[in-house]
Amino acid sequence: MHKTVITHGKAWFDFGLKELYRYRELLWILTWRDLKVRYAQTIVGVLWAIINPLFTLVVLTFVFKTVADVDTGGYPHLLFTLSGMAAWTYFSSVVAGAGGSIISSQQMVSKVYFPRLLLPLSKAVGALVDLAVVLVILTIMLFWYGFAPSSTLIYLPAFIFLAILAGVGVGLWISAMSIRFRDFMYVTPLLLRLGMFITPIAYPVSSVGEKWETLMYLNPMTGIIEGMRWSILGIHPPTEGLTLSIIVVAVVFISGLIVFNRIERKIADII
Amino acid sequence: MSKAIEIENLSKKFQLGAIGTQNLRHWLQGLMSKDPRSKEEFWALQDISFDVAPGEVIGLIGRNGAGKSTLLKIISRISEPTSGKITLNGRVSSLLEVGTGFHPELTGRENIFLNGSILGMTRKEIKSKFDEIVDFSGVEKFIDTPVKRYSSGMYVRLAFSVAAHLEPEILLVDEVLAVGDHEFQKKCLGKMGDISTSGRTIIFVSHNMGAVAELCSRAILFEQGKLITDGTVDDTIGKYIQGSTGPDQGAFEPSPNEHAWFTKMELKRQDDLVHTLDLNHDFSLELTFEVRTPTDDLDVAVILMKGTQRVFFSIHKDQLETHFFAQGTHSFRMTLPSMYLTGGNYHFDIYLRRPSDGSHYDAQPQRIQFTVDELSLNTHHKGYAQKRGGLTIFPGEWKKVNE
Repeated sequence: MHKTVITHGKAWFDFGLKELYRYRELLWILTWRDLKVRYAQTIVGVLWAIINPLFTLVVLTFVFKTVADVDTGGYPHLLFTLSGMAAWTYFSSVVAGAGGSIISSQQMVSKVYFPRLLLPLSKAVGALVDLAVVLVILTIMLFWYGFAPSSTLIYLPAFIFLAILAGVGVGLWISAMSIRFRDFMYVTPLLLRLGMFITPIAYPVSSVGEKWETLMYLNPMTGIIEGMRWSILGIHPPTEGLTLSIIVVAVVFISGLIVFNRIERKIADII
Repeated sequence: MSKAIEIENLSKKFQLGAIGTQNLRHWLQGLMSKDPRSKEEFWALQDISFDVAPGEVIGLIGRNGAGKSTLLKIISRISEPTSGKITLNGRVSSLLEVGTGFHPELTGRENIFLNGSILGMTRKEIKSKFDEIVDFSGVEKFIDTPVKRYSSGMYVRLAFSVAAHLEPEILLVDEVLAVGDHEFQKKCLGKMGDISTSGRTIIFVSHNMGAVAELCSRAILFEQGKLITDGTVDDTIGKYIQGSTGPDQGAFEPSPNEHAWFTKMELKRQDDLVHTLDLNHDFSLELTFEVRTPTDDLDVAVILMKGTQRVFFSIHKDQLETHFFAQGTHSFRMTLPSMYLTGGNYHFDIYLRRPSDGSHYDAQPQRIQFTVDELSLNTHHKGYAQKRGGLTIFPGEWKKVNE
């Protein structure tokens, strides 16, 4: 028989993984709900989801093509930028979604028990659908321009996995902090806008000069985006800077889990 | 046999002031100022211990803020205890509200799956119960319509139906029964009755004494975070009703005059002041008055009113032979039997009356307001249907005359 013991507090590294597994169906259902609600309204709703990043894509491509002619490894600027934007769009939508996931489900959280971690996780899973759409568009454009996919494509899942960890990690931090301090809800968009400029989306990291490269890699998305571009286009193979990015991802993810875990059982009392 | 629920020395403290979301500025200010206010504490539960055997149906009663709901939240793991321990043997589902997670854009069908899994059902379970759920809710025709187009009645019916088909070993229910129209409420109570006899362990929080009496085999009374009574439903409910003395019970400004006037009026059950009555007990009205001028021209008259309707008129001479009143204090008691008044709000109009011309020495209209909770009797009088109408419950004397 299922046995539960309830006491005050829990261990720092007790993330309740068994419980999480038991509730796995709810993860899919929450994800499905988000997607369904987003696309239920109208066909225009879907279009807007594409138009927004498309606009950014066009602006970024234009700026970095005409104003600062960066080295795209022989690929058209549009392709180069899109391959960088795929991971960034995913990351920023996970951070925003996961960061606000607890607060936007206040009602549910204060009335029913389930592992709270499912809420931010469902945002990470849901955003994968958008990522898939972008990757399909990217593939079509690749063929349109007459390129074959790079043989390094097999590394792509690894970088997507890193992007998930990075997005969830930052998202957990933000949602944990914004439960206590609503200020963090306003910090998120700011952080993401700043991040967009210090992340090599439309330019290769090598173009900033060696002096700054290490600093750039402290931003975990730098390694991930460079890596993804390398897997898709086969240009700019990762340097040792990638290791730094991976370490940062790991630190952010694990610390995010711990911080979230510490506050998880107090959510209903605070919110 | 092992326990289904074991609660040991459970306490829950809330930090007043520091509780809730703050913005950073307040938090920083709090750190700087060492304001003692931010350390104010409030014990929502203090040292609660009790066990629940498998299959037992327990009612938690008490006034608002007594800690019932907090306890339920801790057992359902929504909120964390400050100290103490709970051991649960079995799968737990909690129903603190109906329709948790319902999304207006989704159809009834989709919401059944969403709500069901939030409440802890597996997809397979929901699928196998789906038809039953839809059937019970009575919204078949609209099952593929987004619930934002539902009437609030339909919405609540569907929500309750999902909840009613949960099958955990331990079920925690917080006053969600009172949903929908009267018809559906009856259906809900019936369903809860079925569930309570199905061998599941249930903790049920309610203000509805009738529902508690009907569904539970044991009841626990809470008061200000402490466990007051743990025993049979009758005892606990009795204690609760005793405790609920109205603040203005019998309070009025006596109006002395040269003849006679009331000094005290009280509604009592046995020796306790009450303002809520259940149907299982007699109750009495105690009137004390002062006579200054001795007289034999005096009636103590009582009119029982239900809202604006007169239930009866009675004077002390109906039963007593007292005609002459000497100077001094007099006390009368009028007792009313159990199973007499239907549920609702009542009051008394009370008079010291001069029968010779019908004028009053003292008139006290709208005194002793009280409530009769007719729901509290169903266990004892199965034949009595709620809300049957009429001013009194008058069983009459029924006999079969022909063969």
